[in-house]
Amino acid sequence: MSAVAASSRFDARAVRRAGVGLRLPHLLEVAAAAPPVGWLEIHPENFLANPHAREVLLDIATRCVLSVHTVGVSVGSAEGVDREHLSRVVALVEELDPLFVSGHLAWSTHRGRFLNDLLPVPYDAETLRLVAEHVDEVQDALGRPYLIENPASYVGFDGSTMTEAEFLSELVQRTGCRLLCDVSNVYVSATNMGYDPYEYIAALPAAAIGELHLGGYTREDKPDESSDELLIDAHASPISEPAWALYAYTLRRVGALPTLIEWDAALPSFSRLTEEAATADELAAAVANEGQPLASAR
Amino acid sequence: MRGGRDPHARLEVHVRHYETSLVTALHMKFPATQWLVGSELVAAAARAYVHARPPNRPCIAEYGRTFPVFLAQFARGRGLPYLRMFTELELAAGETATAIGLPPLEWSEVAKAGAERLLDCTAGVQPGTRYLRSRWRVDELMKIYLSGSAPERFVVAAAQACIEIRGARGELRIIRLDRATFAFRAALAARRTIEDSVARALRHEPQFDAGAALRDAVQSGLLTSLHLHSGGGEP
Repeated sequence: MSAVAASSRFDARAVRRAGVGLRLPHLLEVAAAAPPVGWLEIHPENFLANPHAREVLLDIATRCVLSVHTVGVSVGSAEGVDREHLSRVVALVEELDPLFVSGHLAWSTHRGRFLNDLLPVPYDAETLRLVAEHVDEVQDALGRPYLIENPASYVGFDGSTMTEAEFLSELVQRTGCRLLCDVSNVYVSATNMGYDPYEYIAALPAAAIGELHLGGYTREDKPDESSDELLIDAHASPISEPAWALYAYTLRRVGALPTLIEWDAALPSFSRLTEEAATADELAAAVANEGQPLASAR
Repeated sequence: MRGGRDPHARLEVHVRHYETSLVTALHMKFPATQWLVGSELVAAAARAYVHARPPNRPCIAEYGRTFPVFLAQFARGRGLPYLRMFTELELAAGETATAIGLPPLEWSEVAKAGAERLLDCTAGVQPGTRYLRSRWRVDELMKIYLSGSAPERFVVAAAQACIEIRGARGELRIIRLDRATFAFRAALAARRTIEDSVARALRHEPQFDAGAALRDAVQSGLLTSLHLHSGGGEP
């Protein structure tokens, strides 16, 4: 297990409002005026080769709570983590001192190629050993906990010997990493792979969850009657009702946690994103007020 | 594998995302080229490119450096001999516009070096600077694109163009230089000594005024620093 201590100038417990992903088309707008959201999450890969955007981001970081969500640190790759990329991410993290640094339970690199997708891993002992080793390496490089996000699944492996929730729980035990629970991914994966999303949430180690994600999914058209209907984690639409319902259940189970709205494709206006964040805030407030004694009449 | 009736068919989700996401990235990187030759040709070339030249780094903003060459080969026979240089120009413009500008070198610092030591110096150049030598006047074509108004007909002149591309923080300038000044400035940008850079310019123009060229480079804000070549550090 890597020996890392929580280290950020921000206290997650103080982040009361939902956040949104900050994408390049919105960067200058956000830099010009304080965004009406609790926090912002960036993909570091958007800033590593864009010095101007990085400069603007560093300015935003002096006024807003930021989180870093990497898509290129491939902890599931059999060939190991891309150390050059990791060092570039670490350098940016050190400049930003974000609330969280997170990534995916997936692999993206093979034989020197970056496959630009989050590919599934089998859930077995060997994969667990490998992923734990890589998470340790990432946490040692960062000097802080790394949050691992559950994937959106379309296929599984016959050789898997444990469930995804069991795998993540064991990974937390071995490495001290934390979890980013993507509630929408839970719903997408459960629908695609045929299990109960509520049981999945219940099986996660609640104390290890540091952050929640919500993103829109799309239904893939069935080419013919013999095909399955698939939900695709597209991040190109508003949050669906089933995902909101699962979010409410998650909050009841784990308590209030920093929540982020992911909308990366068919990007709407920034104000539209903040509307989704406001919906998350309303739902969180409603859950928090459940079971509260009514104020006595005066 | 498992997943629904045909898990192997579900792998198509990942294959599609790989291709679509990278083709989209190339579309966003080369909008001027799409304007020039049409989005269909660029899309077809991009689909071929992402399989022939897959990325090897996670930072997709850095992907596509060899697309200009690939696209030109893909489009061979379509009567677009200037295509590669136009796309190279677009690539350079995109890279420079996202750079940040550094404080420019002051002439007083150059004067302090002294003529003899100056020849042994190399110069730092603004990070958002690129040099492109083209057999076609693609800079004129790019300026038409950037102006947003295209004439009914335009002939791309088959004549050499020595192009300096300078940009920072979203701003961009495309400047055609004479051959000697181009050789001088491109050599400075390649970290050649001032003496070597002047020599390269003189090959194109025996009357090249090195002093005036250096002063122009400084006054235009191109240079950011001076370094004594033999020993390193400041002169």
